[in-house]
Amino acid sequence: MLSTLFGSENNERVLIFILNRDEGYASEIAHFFDATLYAIQQQLDKLENGGVLVSKTVGRTRVYEYNPRYPFLTELKALLEKAYSFYPEDVRENLEMNRRRPRKKDKPL
Amino acid sequence: MKSIANMNEAELSAYIQSHLKNAGIDVVLSGGSAVTIYSENKYVSKDLDLVNVYAANRKKIKTAMTKLGFQEEGRYFTHAKTKLFIEFPAGPLAIGEEPVKEIVEKEMPTGTLRIISPTDCVKDRLAAYYHWSDRQCLVQAQYVSQAQAVDLKEVRAWSEREGMLAKFEEIKKELK
Repeated sequence: MLSTLFGSENNERVLIFILNRDEGYASEIAHFFDATLYAIQQQLDKLENGGVLVSKTVGRTRVYEYNPRYPFLTELKALLEKAYSFYPEDVRENLEMNRRRPRKKDKPL
Repeated sequence: MKSIANMNEAELSAYIQSHLKNAGIDVVLSGGSAVTIYSENKYVSKDLDLVNVYAANRKKIKTAMTKLGFQEEGRYFTHAKTKLFIEFPAGPLAIGEEPVKEIVEKEMPTGTLRIISPTDCVKDRLAAYYHWSDRQCLVQAQYVSQAQAVDLKEVRAWSEREGMLAKFEEIKKELK
C-alpha cells in the first residue's frame, strides 16, 4: 500500500504489524507475512537506526515497538491507519485477533 | 591542540563537530553527554550522541570520522585514544514532538561545541521518564536543573503540550 513511499514492502509490513500489535519481534513478523527473517530483521534495524522504533530484550528475544519520542509518530500512525483500512479483511482479522491473555506453561491447547 | 586522549566530553564533541562542519555535516550534542556537561560530571555518560540534524549521509560521516582516526563499530565510532563512543542518532533534532529551536554554542580549545540548551536537556530526560517511567532519567533531569538555569515554566508548558502535565506536577518539586 505504501511501499512506494517506504521503499520496501517489508518496511511497510513491519510498521503495520507493530501498529496493530503494539510490539513485535523479527521471527513472528516474518512468519505472519511469510517473509524471510533476514529481510524483516533488516527493516527492523533500519527503522531502529532511524529512530522510528526502539527495542528491548525480553528473555532471548529482541522486541520492537514504536519510539514514543519519534517527532513524526502521530502523523506516521495516521498515515498507516489510513493505509491499513484498505488492507484485505482476512489480513486485518489475523493481525487483530491474536491471543493476548496468559497461557499456562503445561496447557496442551 | 590537545590529544584526543586528554579531551573531555565537551572538548571531544567540539573537536568532532568542528571537523564535521567543515565537511558540511551539522551535528548537535544531545542525550546523556549533555547531562554530563550540564551536571558538571554528576552523571557520566560514555557515549556522545551527536544528532545528525539534516540527515547527512552515513558514508559522508564515516569518511569524515575516518580522517580523525575513528573506526566504525556497528552504530558507534570508536578511537584507540578515547573510551568515549560516538553515535550519530538520526535527526530531526526534536524534544518530543517539537523541533529544538535554541542551540547553545560554546567556544572550547578544540573547536565550537554545539549543544542543546539546559532547558531542552531537562525536557529530553523527562521525555524518557514520561514514556518509560525511567527513574534514572528523572534523576539526570534533576542534576541538570540543580546545576543550571532551567526555565521550569517552559518545561511545564512543554509537558502540557506533550499531554504529560499530570506527571510533571507529580515531579516538579524534584527539579528545584
